[in-house]
Amino acid sequence: MSMNEEQFIKRDRMRFTKNTLSSSLALLAILFNVFYFVSIYKSDVGSYYYNILIGASVLYNLVFMLVVFLSSEGVKGYNITFAYVLLAVGVLQILRIFLLPLRAHAAVVTINQQETVVMQTAQFIRVVVYLSASAVCCLVAGVAGIQKSRVLAAHMATLEQKVA
Amino acid sequence: MATLSLQHLDKIYDNKVQAVFDFNLDVKDGELIVLVGPSGCGKSTTLRMVAGLEDISTGHLLLDGKDITQTPAKDRDMAMVFQNYALYGHMTIYENMAFSLTLRKENPNVIHKKVLAAAEILGLTEQLNKKPAQLSGGQRQRVAMGRSIVRNPKVFLFDEPLSNLDAKLRGATRREILLLHKRLNATMLYVTHDQTEALTLADRIVCMSMGHVQQVGTPLELYDTPANLFVASFIGLPPMNFFDVTVGNGVLTSDVLNVPLTAEEQHALRAYAGKQIVLGVRPEDIVEQGQVLVNVFSNENLGMNTLVHGHIGSNDPSHKITCKLRGWCDYKAGDEVPVTFVRKHFFDKETTNAIRGEA
Repeated sequence: MSMNEEQFIKRDRMRFTKNTLSSSLALLAILFNVFYFVSIYKSDVGSYYYNILIGASVLYNLVFMLVVFLSSEGVKGYNITFAYVLLAVGVLQILRIFLLPLRAHAAVVTINQQETVVMQTAQFIRVVVYLSASAVCCLVAGVAGIQKSRVLAAHMATLEQKVA
Repeated sequence: MATLSLQHLDKIYDNKVQAVFDFNLDVKDGELIVLVGPSGCGKSTTLRMVAGLEDISTGHLLLDGKDITQTPAKDRDMAMVFQNYALYGHMTIYENMAFSLTLRKENPNVIHKKVLAAAEILGLTEQLNKKPAQLSGGQRQRVAMGRSIVRNPKVFLFDEPLSNLDAKLRGATRREILLLHKRLNATMLYVTHDQTEALTLADRIVCMSMGHVQQVGTPLELYDTPANLFVASFIGLPPMNFFDVTVGNGVLTSDVLNVPLTAEEQHALRAYAGKQIVLGVRPEDIVEQGQVLVNVFSNENLGMNTLVHGHIGSNDPSHKITCKLRGWCDYKAGDEVPVTFVRKHFFDKETTNAIRGEA
């Protein structure tokens, strides 16, 4: 097989195979997000977390999982819209680092007349790693999804031209 | 492509039941052999022994001259198409067809080319992204065939692949299999209990009964010169009529029949003078006009032909006869139709073997 032919077949295969790379990465992003929210609530710092921000965070986690799961199915079928959604969600995951984890890491509360850091450095690093990993997965899935969708669309256009 | 040699194959199960007795067959390169017989005659068992799905009790199986009797099924380079398609419901047609090659870790580009080529041959290109549940029975069977084609095996094995299809689809798929065979020129072993499939598809037919091979020959040989009563009764639709008769001087007689013999027939039956034999007459070898009177009890018009069911003389079951007469006939129950047997087959009453030399 010549290089051109191989490239053509590689593109043509996409007509019948799914974009499992993007889809799997999206599911992995959900998994890292689960690790994140399981880790962040694991603390005993009185009523520090009892505020509107944490409520929004819980809700966002649910929405995130739903949206990313739907997007994983969408990108599997080379739907470029869902790839853009994954990119956006990836960016949001990075932004989340500067909301709850960073604030909690900087906060100090007094419990039994003792000053206590809300989020220890070890926990902070862990949750940042989880969020970052989740974000990277979403971003790579999105970029790969956009790229593959464009390649497939161009290939389909070529095939249609050939038929015409 | 390949030659296949089945030498003295026996199949004896653990409970001592013997399903196949001394099966011998040489399959030529590119030949389509059909194993035909009633249910339980051992044809599927034989096919499964060839595929490696059943152990061979005794005998040898040679593929291209190499003994593969003990070779595991996966290493035999044969592909089998089953009656129930055996497709993966959660996979697309493309994935189903590519599956065996994917398991072998073949290059995805090579797999793609093979799958597209097979889909093109089978007219499945438009269906590749669908799931099996979205296809008709005939299309699913084509997918099963496609899965075999992509492997490019030495031998194709078909185990009653059309039995799950309705009559119309069966006819169409049968023609597709025939075209496929011509196109691939592949060695194929095909099992069926349907004699129409056997006659229309086969290069050679192996007719089996009770685990024994009854006759091996071309469809025409089996139809024209059946080796024994079983083959004569099994091949042909409607089946052959049989009568117990005595060989007289230039005539076959029974209590209700008196059939004159030609010089050739007399010559063929010279060793049976005065003995009882079985006379076989195909319904299509009976024409109107003659000395044999058929008492009609039913009449089936098929358009070009009419099937007349009746009896000769008494109402005894052994005197029943079916005639396939030309044209549209309107006989009623009780009518008497004079007929002639234009072609006769003779069988030894004791051995049930054909008496050769019949005209």
